Amino acid sequence: MANLLWLQGGACSGNTMSFLNAEEPSACDLVTDFGINVLWHPSLGMELGDNLQQMLRDCISGKIKLDIFVFEGSVVQAPDGSGEWNRFAGRAMKDWVQELSDVSDFVVAIGDCATWGGIPATAPNPSESVGLQFLKRDHGGFLGRDFKSKAGLPVINIPGCPAHPDWVTQILVGVATGHAGDVTLDEFQRPKTFFQSFTQTGCTRNMHFAYKVSATEFGQRKGCLFYDLGCRGPMTHSPCNRILWNRQSSKTRAGMPCMGCTEPEFPFFDLAPGTVFKTQTVMGVPKDLPEGVDKKGYIKLTGAAKTAAPQWAEEDMFVV
Amino acid sequence: MMEDGLETQTEPFPEDHVQFEAVLKELRDLPKDDLEGKLVVSGFVDHPYGEDDQRCLECMYYLVHRKWCDLPELAVPVEPEWWCRLWRI
Ligand code: SF4
Ligand code: SF4
Ligand code: SF4
Repeated sequence: MANLLWLQGGACSGNTMSFLNAEEPSACDLVTDFGINVLWHPSLGMELGDNLQQMLRDCISGKIKLDIFVFEGSVVQAPDGSGEWNRFAGRAMKDWVQELSDVSDFVVAIGDCATWGGIPATAPNPSESVGLQFLKRDHGGFLGRDFKSKAGLPVINIPGCPAHPDWVTQILVGVATGHAGDVTLDEFQRPKTFFQSFTQTGCTRNMHFAYKVSATEFGQRKGCLFYDLGCRGPMTHSPCNRILWNRQSSKTRAGMPCMGCTEPEFPFFDLAPGTVFKTQTVMGVPKDLPEGVDKKGYIKLTGAAKTAAPQWAEEDMFVV
Repeated sequence: MMEDGLETQTEPFPEDHVQFEAVLKELRDLPKDDLEGKLVVSGFVDHPYGEDDQRCLECMYYLVHRKWCDLPELAVPVEPEWWCRLWRI
């Protein structure tokens, strides 16, 4: 049995909702088939009040062995670093986070707020929110750059707004069943198995990307969402078009641009008006080009792609 | 019309999204069938334009096979060597 404790800081509960929708394995399978003992979770925990406090203290003292500490939401440090804006079980949540992280074998951050600070950490960040080990791109998170859990790993970051349920349950199962050694992490401590490829991998609009045919409106079935509508699929590490949402769709399949929610900079451009769902350009050329492509090459490529584009690329790809 | 020397407003080229939107808004405010108005506001010319020889052929909105500008605010037939200041790649 692996004991798991899940707490929420500055969170909207989106990752909990996502987790409860998991299918393979489901949240129940974690308990029945994979030996995960959920000590407590904000939506599933049975203990309240003094009993909960006692249980948390027992984890810290070692009376209850804590194998996996999962944190969802940002670590709120306001006002003035005291953390009093986010109190939980009788004290600042950030103090629980510190002490529980120190005694846990594995620490897992779920969702953008816990990984990089997410939307709460967007300037001017009144709640002084940070992620567990990162603040946006930098190692400026709450636990500090050098933090390692008792098993010797840094925080395992599973970003997303919210994280896909499979990313969460599969990593939890891996860790709980002794396969943590197989989990390789990228420079932002994301499991490579999910975050090495781009959102664009598997996107049904790849042909339209290649032939530079643009979708000009949401939900349009023809065209790629990169050129006009700000799709971040070519720059975003996520398997959203390989591991589908609800096992059937993804944003880009439905005609909605990827917003790059698995990257540390999310939300991009600090949500300034006119920056969401719009491709930012400088003199007509996208500000963010697909990784590894420069402006000159991009212009040349466009001419060639347009010239070579087959007729069907300009047609609606579905027949109703 | 362009062959007849219609003077269109090629400058300023919208540098960013905000300026781009401003030109689009001007276009939206025109009566739907005001073709001349559309050509003038969007700054049409019947040859490549600027340092990089920008032209419809490389523009995002150009549909090669239909020789058509797919930008909803324009929606006009165009030639690959033409250009307008809503060019975007
Ligand atoms: S819609 Fe987005 S993810 Fe899909 S091909 Fe275009 S840029 Fe890539
Ligand atoms: S498609 Fe993009 S925005 Fe949507 S969940 Fe995946 S990474 Fe996040
Ligand atoms: S927006 Fe302008 S440059 Fe682009 S295809 Fe239309 S007319 Fe040509």
